[in-house]
This record gives sequence, structure tokens and C-alpha cells, in this order.
Amino acid sequence: MPAKLDEASQHTPESHDMIQGTLEMLILKTLALEPMHGYGVALRIEQISQGVFRVNPGSLLPALSRMERAGRARSEWRATENNRRAKYYMLTAKGHKALAAETKQWHRQTAAISRILEA
Amino acid sequence: MQWLTNLIKGFTSLTHKQRVEAELDEELHSYVRESVAHKQGNGMTPAVARRAALAEMGSRNSVKHQVWSSRWESTLDNLLNDIRLGIRTLSKSPGFTVVALLSLALGIGGNTAIFTLIHQVILCNLPVRDPQQLVSFNKSIGGGIIGGVDLGTGGLYSWSFAHQLETAPGPFQGIASYSSFSPTVSVRPPSDSRDSASGTQAITVPATLVSGNYFSLLGSQPLMGRLIGLSDNATPESGAVADISYRFWQQSLSADPAIVGKTLTINGTPFTVIGVMPRQFQGFKTEIEPAALWAPIMMQPVVYHDQSYLSAAFAPYFLHLFGRLSSQAVSNHDTFAQSQQWLDQQVQAGIRAMEGASITPARQQEISRVTVPLFHAQQGVSQMRGGYGDSLRILMIVVVLVLLIACANLANFLLARGAARQRETATRLALGSSRARIVGQSLIESLLLSLAGGALGLLIAFVSTRALIAFVTRGTSATAFSPAPDAAVLLFTMAVALATGLLFGLAPAFAAARMGATTTLASNARTAQAGGVKSSRFWPRTLVIAQITLSLLLLVGAGLFLRSLRNLQNQDFGFERTHLLMAQFDAQLAGYKTSQASSLQQRLIDRLSALPGVRSVAVSGTAPISEGNWTSTIRFSGYTPAPKENMYSLLNRVSGGYFETAGIPMVAGRSISTADSAGSLKVAVISQTLANHFFPKGNAIGRMLTIDIDSVAGPWQIVGIARDSKSTDPRNTDPIRMTYIPLAQIAPFTPADQPADAGTKPAPPEPNNNCFASNLILRTSGDPSRSIADLRAAMASIDPNLPLLHVTSIQEQVSSLMSHDELVSAFTGLFSMLALLLAAIGLYGVMSYNVVRRTNEIGIRFALGASGSTVLWMILREALLLLSVGLILGLPLAATVARLIRLQLFDLNPFDLATFALAVTVVSAMTVFSAYLPARRAAKVDPMVAIRCD
Repeated sequence: MPAKLDEASQHTPESHDMIQGTLEMLILKTLALEPMHGYGVALRIEQISQGVFRVNPGSLLPALSRMERAGRARSEWRATENNRRAKYYMLTAKGHKALAAETKQWHRQTAAISRILEA
Repeated sequence: MQWLTNLIKGFTSLTHKQRVEAELDEELHSYVRESVAHKQGNGMTPAVARRAALAEMGSRNSVKHQVWSSRWESTLDNLLNDIRLGIRTLSKSPGFTVVALLSLALGIGGNTAIFTLIHQVILCNLPVRDPQQLVSFNKSIGGGIIGGVDLGTGGLYSWSFAHQLETAPGPFQGIASYSSFSPTVSVRPPSDSRDSASGTQAITVPATLVSGNYFSLLGSQPLMGRLIGLSDNATPESGAVADISYRFWQQSLSADPAIVGKTLTINGTPFTVIGVMPRQFQGFKTEIEPAALWAPIMMQPVVYHDQSYLSAAFAPYFLHLFGRLSSQAVSNHDTFAQSQQWLDQQVQAGIRAMEGASITPARQQEISRVTVPLFHAQQGVSQMRGGYGDSLRILMIVVVLVLLIACANLANFLLARGAARQRETATRLALGSSRARIVGQSLIESLLLSLAGGALGLLIAFVSTRALIAFVTRGTSATAFSPAPDAAVLLFTMAVALATGLLFGLAPAFAAARMGATTTLASNARTAQAGGVKSSRFWPRTLVIAQITLSLLLLVGAGLFLRSLRNLQNQDFGFERTHLLMAQFDAQLAGYKTSQASSLQQRLIDRLSALPGVRSVAVSGTAPISEGNWTSTIRFSGYTPAPKENMYSLLNRVSGGYFETAGIPMVAGRSISTADSAGSLKVAVISQTLANHFFPKGNAIGRMLTIDIDSVAGPWQIVGIARDSKSTDPRNTDPIRMTYIPLAQIAPFTPADQPADAGTKPAPPEPNNNCFASNLILRTSGDPSRSIADLRAAMASIDPNLPLLHVTSIQEQVSSLMSHDELVSAFTGLFSMLALLLAAIGLYGVMSYNVVRRTNEIGIRFALGASGSTVLWMILREALLLLSVGLILGLPLAATVARLIRLQLFDLNPFDLATFALAVTVVSAMTVFSAYLPARRAAKVDPMVAIRCD
């Protein structure tokens, strides 16, 4: 069942409903490409989804914090390409494993859902 | 290990909250910066880009809050904040907090105190291996020495039978025996004992005899040294070894670390100390005054100061047995039944063996029905458990009720306060606080109260448990009870405190959360509420009704117990109740021979009679009333008993002047006097019940009577009939059959049995211990306690070594026999008063709050022409309504409870009208009084002030 990710996402009118629990998977995928700071993650998700998903800081930052606590990501302060300081997040080995597991799970579920819908 | 890192990170962020906050700020800042840079790169002007980035971010605080709440430590942080807030709120209303804490402390403390005793008396398992496997063979709570009845009666067995089972325990892992009571022995510590005060002075302590496998079957370990083993208990009258209790070792032997191997002189015989038991060990049977030492059964003649009970010729039943079930029998019903069956067969075989060859078929039938039930004994056996168990259970219910009343009080107070804080709550809800947070905060406040109350309660419990123990043990110093709370008690208190907090906290918490945010923000909150959301008045009223009901219940209970106790105290005991001083001495322990008993008794009587304030003195085998007794079957010449006729009589051996001293009047004939001496005709006095039963035509005097105890067989000629008097349990209303014989006429030696084989020479005569009597009875002209010092001095002047064991007045003696009743009635009375006080406080609180809440309304009523008395009546009416509902609910409930406790009552109708009437009156008076004060205040409200005040 589609649900609002949280109340904060209501504030941005362009935001689209995101399937519950998928945000973390998208962040994992994004970070798997390269270490990135918070805004970079939000931008990347928006760009790749061609504007379908817009993630605001109210959901992105808690998700990153949760992942860091769970040991799936770690962070460090680095200089950006424009020489500004930003907190970069990167996946740990555990994060890579989690991404693989969640991707597999996702494909299984979407395939099943498609079969049901097409039946 | 992830959880550990998470835990550590959480705590670090809690302790470095500012740093975490700063980092988060910086991250948000950099986020915006990147966002702005990106938007500028896309062609926005710096100002527009900035505005767009900030709009995307939304409220920075909200984002920070969300990040913070995504971590576990935020919950803990909230909790700490709530606790801080709770403490602040509580300390802002000290009056409420003090009353709340006090009532909680009293309520929880009462529960803890009673539980401490229940835990020690009823619940505590023996400190031995696998206690659940232990079973006692019949209820081993009596104790004594008997003969002439079926084996196993009263859980008593002879040594030969016990030994047979010990060596062949059948389906049991083992069977062990121990003396059914612990006789007092005189112990002389080793002369080199470091405690010079106790020096070589003899101490009197209880000692238990045990079989060789007693300790190994229990699976106990000594603190030091070794335990009595099979080889110690192998040969009669050898094996003079003893294990001593921790308490005895500490208190009387100054905890001598080298005690093992030293010699204690017990009843004049040297015993080697072979071990010290751990502190918790009291033996299989727990007693108020636990055994100080354990010796092998083979040492019985020394410890009992009596002839041997171990021979085949004289084998009285003086041992209790217990067994250890096989591990299957513990859980499996059938295996347990097999063990039971095996035991019954053994007992039946034992009876048959004793009765010899010629057993009639009828008797055979009877024997085959004999059964000795197995009782689970993981807590050991205890006389007190039976005696005080019911009392303690009743008291536990009482204290729980008191605690419930206290809970109702607090719930009411908190509801009232919650209502007063409506606007605060509404504001919090409106500002986005979640309802869960509000419920939690309210609950935390209750739990703070209840836990603090519990901690105070522990203190109260510690003090009151001391008092309780002193009450239960009658001031015996050697008791094994301890008022110090152990882990179980602490856990119990904690659980009670938590449950209490939830109980009185939940309703107010939910009431607070249920409140609508919209209505209560309206400025006139007070009238909005007074106008009456019905539910806001439902709970306070229900709680007050519950308090009235419970108070009534407790008052009825207390009233019944108190009246029952009065009946018990005021009944006709049949002897002098005010001016008797009683003391016990033990000539045997002081080394007197049976041949010296008579002259010692005479010297005591002569010397003590001369004391100032003493009118007369007598010596007797048992006191006019006491726990112990001496019984036997008796026979009358010219009276043929019917088969199975009950021929038992209590016996007492008395000196001349006993009846006059004890104040037992003669109904016919004469009493026993000093003229009845060794040389004269053997005489006896019987009680009226005995005379009326066997000689209804009134021709008892002149008959001959024989007693089925060889050493005092008689025949005795009945010369008098004494009035019935109570002799043991004051609750026992059956008329007492009693036979008195003159002490002076009991021979110091019993003639030895004639040997069956004429060739062997006759055995020397056995000393007859029945010519000793250990009770002194002094009739005083004034207060008996004033003669105690004189008595002690006089005894010391006769023989300083003669131990004076137990000096009491007759009132103390009688009251010690009804200590359960005194315990229950005293504490029920106390607690019901407490409950009443709590209920009064509660009612007063609710009524006062109602008046304050309705000030505005009352002002309007006055303005519209209501008179003071109308308003007074309006408030009182509500209280009376609650009272009548409480009474309507409470009376049937009280009647039910009265019916349940009717067995605890003595000579009292459970529906005793006076008690019920008094309880109703007291509760009504309490209600009216508590409601009158606020009502009067309401009647004095100044309408001008009242209407303006909001």
C-alpha cells in the first residue's frame, strides 16, 4: 500500500508518494556508486528518477543517520569539488551486502506484484 | 557487535549533546550551501536560489528533531526529561507529594512487612539440594513422645522402624529421621572459650537428634568441619559428636574459628564439635527457636535425660521421618502413588510385627486401612506455618486492601490535578506533542511517586517487621527470623511499587490524553469542564465509592476479629487469671537425681511461700494452661469400656496446694494436699467432665483409677472432682478430661521388668523421670510481675545452678496461646484505621476539589438567591449519595468476607450485628465529616468574588 513517507514530505508540493521502506534502498544504491554528501544524494535520486522522487532533508537526513547507526554507512567531513566542507557518506561492506539483499528482495516482490496485476 | 557500537555511540551523543547538535547544524548548513550552489549553477540569481533552497529545507528545527528522534537515545533523553519535569512538578506541590508519599509508603510498607514474614514462614524453600524431592511422612508438626497407638500417628515413629526404613528405603532415594521436637539441653562451652562472660556457665539451648543419613539425604554442606554421618549413629550411646548452628556458634561460642574438635559438655556428657552449619540452615523442621545443635539419635538418653528409647523392649515413637522421592516420582503421579503405597505397606507391616501373632480379622482389616500420607516438604515442616500461615494470609489480604485504598486516593488526586492542568496539556497537544508523550509523562510522574513511596515503604517495613517478629516469637532472642529484606523481598516491593504506580497512574494519564485539544483552549476552561463531561466525574466518584466499600470491609473484619479476641480472652478458663506467676525450672539439667526430686520440690515450695506478696506456691508437671500436655489412656475399676471407647485423659502431677494456688475449685470431695505423701494411700482428682462421663450417677469418688503409663500406673483412688478448666488451646471448647495425681506419690524408681528368663538376674530399677515436675506456680497478692526479682533471688539462694527457664505471668501465658488471634486483630485493627484515614483524606480531597471547581457555579447560585444551607446540602448530598452506594455495595461484600473468615472467629456470629452497625456508623461519620468541611467552605463562598474569579 502506498503511503506517505512522513509528514515532512507533504510540505513540498512536487513530491511524489514513495513506497514505504524504499528510501533507504535508493540511498544505498546512490551511495554504492560513489561517496556523496546529503544534498548530492537528494539530487542524484531526483535526477535518476527524472524528477519522480524528490527527497527532502526531513526524511533524507534521519535515514542517513539511521543507516550510519546500523553500520551500513559511515561518514566523514571532506572538501567538495568547490572546496566547501560537507559531510560525505559512503557504504560499508555491510551496506553493500544490505543493498544486494534488498535489491533481490525488491525484484522478487515487484515481479510477484506484476504477475498478480497481469493475471 | 553492531548493537554495542550503536549503544556506545548513543551514550556518547547523549553526553555530548551540544557537539552532536553543532555537527548537525553544520551538516544542514552545508546542505543548504550545496543546494544554493547547484541552483545558481542552473541559472538562478543568488537571492532566488537561496530562497528556494531554504524553502526546500523547511523548518530546520523540525529536520533536526527528526534526525534526533531517529536514534534510540532520543527515547532515553525524553525519559530523562520527563523524569526531570516530574520531579519539578512534584516538588512544586509539596503538600500533595508528602501526603501521597506517606500513604504509599504505609501501604507498600505494610505489604512488604507481611510479605517478609510470609516469605520466611511459608514460601522459603529449604536451603538444600533439590528441595522439591523432599516429602514428610504424615504431617510432622506435632512433636512428642508417644506409645500405645498405631505407628505413624501424628507422624511419629520408633527408632527401630525408622532405622529399618533408613537401611531399606524402597522406591525412595533415601529416608532419614530426626527427633520430633528439640529438647532443651544444658551446654557448657569449652573452658578455653575466649568469651569469658559465658565462661563455663551452662547455657540452655534446643538440640535435635538426627539419623546418620540426615544431612547427606538433605544434601547440606557444613560451613566448616564435617557433618554427622552413618558411622556416628551406629552404636547406642556412643557417637558423642555434634554439629552446631551458625547462630549458636556466633552468639554463644564467640564464633571461635577453632571450634571444630573442641568439647562441649551437653547434659554432663562431653561431645566433640565436628562441624558448624551455614547460617541459613535450620534443619528439616523449622521452629520459632531453631535447634542450636544436632547430635546422633544414638545419644538420645543423654540429650533427653531419660532412659533409652532405642531398645526393642521400650520403643516409644519420638522420631519424625522424611524421604527423598526418586526424580520420576516428583513429576509422575503414578510413581508417586507407588511410593505412597510402598510406605503404607511398610507401616502396616510394622504395626503387625508389633502386635505379634494373634491379630483378630477385624483388627487385620483395620490395619490394612492404615495410611501415612506423604506431604511435599520443599519448605521443610514447620509448626508455625500451620499456626501463623492463616493469620499471615489474612493480614496479606488486609494490607493489599489498604494499598488499594491508597491507590484510589492517589488516582483521585492525580485526576484532579490533571483536570487542573488541562490548559497545559491542551497547549502541549496544540504545539505538536504526541498523546503518547503526554500519557508517558503522566505515568512517569506516578511511577516516580510509587517508587519513592516503595523506597520509603522498605524503611517502614524494616521497622514494622521487627515489631511483627517480636510479636510472633514472643521476644525469643534466638529466632531465625530476620527483618532485613532479601532479594525476594526487594523484588516484591519493587513489583508492588510498579504495579501501584501503574494502577493509580493509568486512569489519570489516559484522562489527560483523552482531552480534546480544541475545547479546553477556550479561556473559560473551568466552567467548560464543570458543565460536565460526564466521564470526568465518573472516575473520582467510582474511586471514592471503592474506598468507602473497602474501608467498610476492613472495619467489619477488624471488628469481628477484635470481638472474637475479646470472647476468647473473657471466656471462663476455670482457673485464677490475674494473680499467678509461673516459672519453669529444670532439675534434671542441673544434675538432680530422681531420688532428690521430692525434697527439692519441697524446699522450693517452702522457700518461695515465704516470699513477701506470695500467698501460696505449688509445683506441677504442666502449667494450668500451656502448649504441651501429658496424656494417656486410663481405666476405672468397675467400668468396662466399650470397644474403641475413647479412654484418653490429660494428666497432671501436682504438689499439695496446687488447686488452691491455681484457683481451680473442687466440685466434690477433697483436693490433693501435702498430706498425700509417698507413704499414704495413692489418690487422684479427676475433672468434672471425666466424672460426669464415666460416672453419670455421681459415684466417682472412692473408685480406683489406673493409668496406662507404667511409671505412674497406680492404682489411684479418686478422692475429689475438680471443676473443668482450659488446659491447652484457648479456642478448644470441648470439655477437658483431666486426671491429677500427687507428685509426692510418684516413686523415684520404677521396678524393672521381670526378665522372662528366670536364670538372668533382675535389671537394676530404672529412675522414673515422672517424679520431676518443672512448673512453679506462685499465687501473689499483688501484681505477679513484682515478684519476679524475688523469685529469681530465692531460686539462686537454693541452688544457683538450677536454671530458671521461663518466667511469665498467667496473663502472658494465656495471651501467648492466642497470639495468632492477637496478631490478626491487632494488625487488622491498625490497618483498618489507616485505611479509614486514607479514605477520609481521599474523600476530603475529592470534595474540596469539587467545591473549588464549582466556585463559579456556586457563586451564580448565591447570586440567584440560594441560601448557605442549600449549597451546604448540595455538596453534602453528593457525599451521602456516594456513601449509600458504597454501603449498598460494601455490606453484601462484608457479609461474604465475614462468612469466609468464620472459622477464624471464636464464639461469634460472623454476621454480628454490633460489629456491622459500628462499622457502618464509623464509615458514615467519616464520610460526613470529610464532606462537611468542604461543604461549609462552599456555603461561605462570596458570590461577588466567585463570579469574578474566572
